[in-house]
Amino acid sequence: MAVAEAYVPTAAPPARRDRAVRAARGRLDWLAVGLLVLVTLVALAAPLLAPHGPLDPVGTPTAAPGTEGFLLGSDSVGRDILSRVLYGLRSSWLAALAVVTFGLLFGGLVGLVAGARGGWVDTLLMRLTDGFLALPAPVVAIAVVAALGPGLLNTLLAVSLVWWPFYARILRGEIRTLAARPHVEAARLAGTGGVRIALKHLLPGAIPAAVVTASLDIGTLVLTLASLSFLGLGQSAPAPELGADAARNLSYLLQNWWIPVMPGIAVALLSLAANVAGDGVRNLMSGR
Amino acid sequence: MRAPLAPPTTALVAEVVDLHVGFTRNGRQVEAVRGLDLQVRAGEVLGLVGESGSGKSVLSLALLGLLPEASQPRTRGVVRVAGIDMLTASPQVRRQVRRDTLGAVFQDPMTSLNPTMRIGRQVAEAAGSGAEALRLLRAVGIPDPERRLGSFPHELSGGLRQRVMIAMAVAGHPALVVADEPTTALDVTVQAQVLALVRRLRDDIGCSVLLITHDLGVAAQVADRVAVMYAGRLAEVGPTAAVLQAPSHPYTVGLMKSRLSLTTDRHRPVQALRGGAPDPADVPPGCGYAPRCPLAMDPCSQTVPDPLPVGTSAHLRACLAEPSRVQDLALTAAPVTAATAVPAQRVDAGWAARVGGIEKTFRVKAGRGRKATLSALRRVSLDVREGESVAIVGESGSGKSTLLRVLAGLEQHERGEVELGRGGRPQMVFQDAGASLTPWLTVGELLDERLRTEGLPRQERRTRALAALAKVGLPEAVYGARASELSGGQRQRVALARATVVPPEVLLCDEPTSALDVSLAATVLNLVQQLRRELGMAVVFVTHDLSVARIVADRIAVMYLGRIVELGDAEEVIRSPKHPYTKALLAAVPDFGVAPPALKGEPASPLSPPTGCAFHPRCPLAVPDCAQPSLDVGLERLRVGADLLLDADSRRVACIRPKEL
Repeated sequence: MAVAEAYVPTAAPPARRDRAVRAARGRLDWLAVGLLVLVTLVALAAPLLAPHGPLDPVGTPTAAPGTEGFLLGSDSVGRDILSRVLYGLRSSWLAALAVVTFGLLFGGLVGLVAGARGGWVDTLLMRLTDGFLALPAPVVAIAVVAALGPGLLNTLLAVSLVWWPFYARILRGEIRTLAARPHVEAARLAGTGGVRIALKHLLPGAIPAAVVTASLDIGTLVLTLASLSFLGLGQSAPAPELGADAARNLSYLLQNWWIPVMPGIAVALLSLAANVAGDGVRNLMSGR
Repeated sequence: MRAPLAPPTTALVAEVVDLHVGFTRNGRQVEAVRGLDLQVRAGEVLGLVGESGSGKSVLSLALLGLLPEASQPRTRGVVRVAGIDMLTASPQVRRQVRRDTLGAVFQDPMTSLNPTMRIGRQVAEAAGSGAEALRLLRAVGIPDPERRLGSFPHELSGGLRQRVMIAMAVAGHPALVVADEPTTALDVTVQAQVLALVRRLRDDIGCSVLLITHDLGVAAQVADRVAVMYAGRLAEVGPTAAVLQAPSHPYTVGLMKSRLSLTTDRHRPVQALRGGAPDPADVPPGCGYAPRCPLAMDPCSQTVPDPLPVGTSAHLRACLAEPSRVQDLALTAAPVTAATAVPAQRVDAGWAARVGGIEKTFRVKAGRGRKATLSALRRVSLDVREGESVAIVGESGSGKSTLLRVLAGLEQHERGEVELGRGGRPQMVFQDAGASLTPWLTVGELLDERLRTEGLPRQERRTRALAALAKVGLPEAVYGARASELSGGQRQRVALARATVVPPEVLLCDEPTSALDVSLAATVLNLVQQLRRELGMAVVFVTHDLSVARIVADRIAVMYLGRIVELGDAEEVIRSPKHPYTKALLAAVPDFGVAPPALKGEPASPLSPPTGCAFHPRCPLAVPDCAQPSLDVGLERLRVGADLLLDADSRRVACIRPKEL
């Protein structure tokens, strides 16, 4: 064999999918992202959309979905489940967004400084990050709640504490790769200062990776927060929360199934929407 | 109209008839080859010359039956190899033809060889047996072939890897070897060896070789016939001597004139082709070269010229202009103007930058967790005077780029001094201009940033940036563009604008033209010269190409394995090189003429430079004293006894045998 078969350079990445399919895929990605925006808007507008107060007993206890004007039924004390789910959505979803935002900002800052400075600063910051990364999330949450008492803010604090190191590591890795590229040397030669190089010549290149990670992460976070409140580490009763509502009312599963199941379905849908949207963001940012 | 298909002749090993190849790239229709006729005769070396985008590599893939399926090629015409049409035959038949009739050598042997397999097994796989593999490795001039059978590709130098590829290509006595830019990634002295090998193999085995190259000089050296491609069509084809002596297509003339040689007139700007190569997705109707052609007439933009005989029937050209007009074009030279003349050296000039006795080592991984020390610079001293242009010439591993990076302050040296003149920090133009521009920032932002360090107000920054762009010949629209929206030549211009928007005292250039096509390289060189004159900068220009060095530099420093071995006036060094290495480098520059005498061996690894004078293992003058570990050759004036050997006072050579030089 005179021509080595397996090692022939081929041109360009395969462009199998034709344009129509690709365009359709692009529309699906946008649709997924749009869905997430819609969820956010619904969460923010919960007080306007909810027909009743989430804490008010407004009707017959354990009314079935669709009866007595309760779209999703009422719970054991006659509260509107739809209203509780909407308010619960708000706290779960906004809490997840808050943790991811904190992770992006704080973790991103640590990663940026470590990656851009290098040397001992890098070593110190990354060992610190490793330390936080080693903490198990539920245990930290239990410890924080035990120390400070239960409540939404304390849960957020606990989860944020264990969440930011992921972002620090991703950002730092991206920045290190970028820092080895000639355009950074060229900027340094042009007399550009260190802070400006970090912000203008390094950070923009790392943002896509960070945003993609965050968008894929948010579904996991929704579930984590729901699990924590399911374990009783979230807001205390009677505050509406999806995980806690499902947990507390588990005993009604056989008689009045809708009471624990409705908030459970909301968690599942929220997590699904977040994951699909995360994939969408990744596809859109990779510039297919 | 085209001639009907000729019946297969025994004298042809491959025949391309009216070949069209198109791709869909990013949703756009790209016509890579647009009607090409070409024959490869038995036993000939056919040089196929073209710039990037001319379709020459697509033609080679078509010949090999390897057009990438994923790019959905649309083909028309016939590519006949060994009686089989490689466009329509089944994959099995095509593979059979490749196995029995064809051999291939690609530009980068590192990606073509399997990195996980020992050389012996890879060659044996192609050759059929271990004994045959050994014979082939010996035939392609690999030293100590028994030992090399057990090596992995990464353990070989670039030149040896390419020899291994060639050994695999000629295994099984193919009728045709397709070599796509086989020497582009190699050093000049190694390139000369590989070209000589290609020719020798042809003589020994009797195979035909299709040598694809962007360098007319390379083709001229080994090819029996030369075919020049432009925009997917043949511009000119004929016997090498005929094409070189009487180029009959304006593009061939342009290529020859923009190509630098050791005899190019230094006092005129290098002749550059107008404009750039056409976008293969949007080729103009008519002759593809018409928009750049100095002889273009009205019919050129409508009629696609077919190759027709000129003079002898063997010499074809596709051009509507009369041959005499093309000949006249070959004879005209650019006028010398005050603006283009190389400035006279100022005698009283102070220095702009000087390095004294600097040493630089790198700690590198030597495999299996061990570390080794690489001596990149070994006691290098060099003064650069104000407004002077110094070229640093050497092969890969010579330390020339490291020296530049030390001057730029991008590397810290261990010993010795670097002093810069009043002008402060030098500016630098990188080899890969695209990579040196931050991809998400606009050209305007990059220039603005450079001006910001001068503390100028916003409006003035913008004015200055636009002026800098105009100076390098770019339109205002480039101000808002990002690097990805610019062509290779435009990026290099932007890099120059960024380096000179605040005029530095010293401009450092790291092979700014080596990644560019011949015609673009010429314009960039002219631009560097022009900026240097206008801004009065000193220029330190790193290159591996002595003909480039000669054009841009007042003085040339030749480096070998971390040391400067010869330093002197550019014209003098080229006219009468003294150091044996300089002589070898000069001899290896490919040019229109006879094959040069090749220097033996390849540069030693800077990880373990030879003792004494590092050049002694390759040096024709070496005596046992040259290898003395205690020997420390420095740059000296050439003298025998008390007499200076050269009239030029500035010449310095590092050699212990000045009498023999």
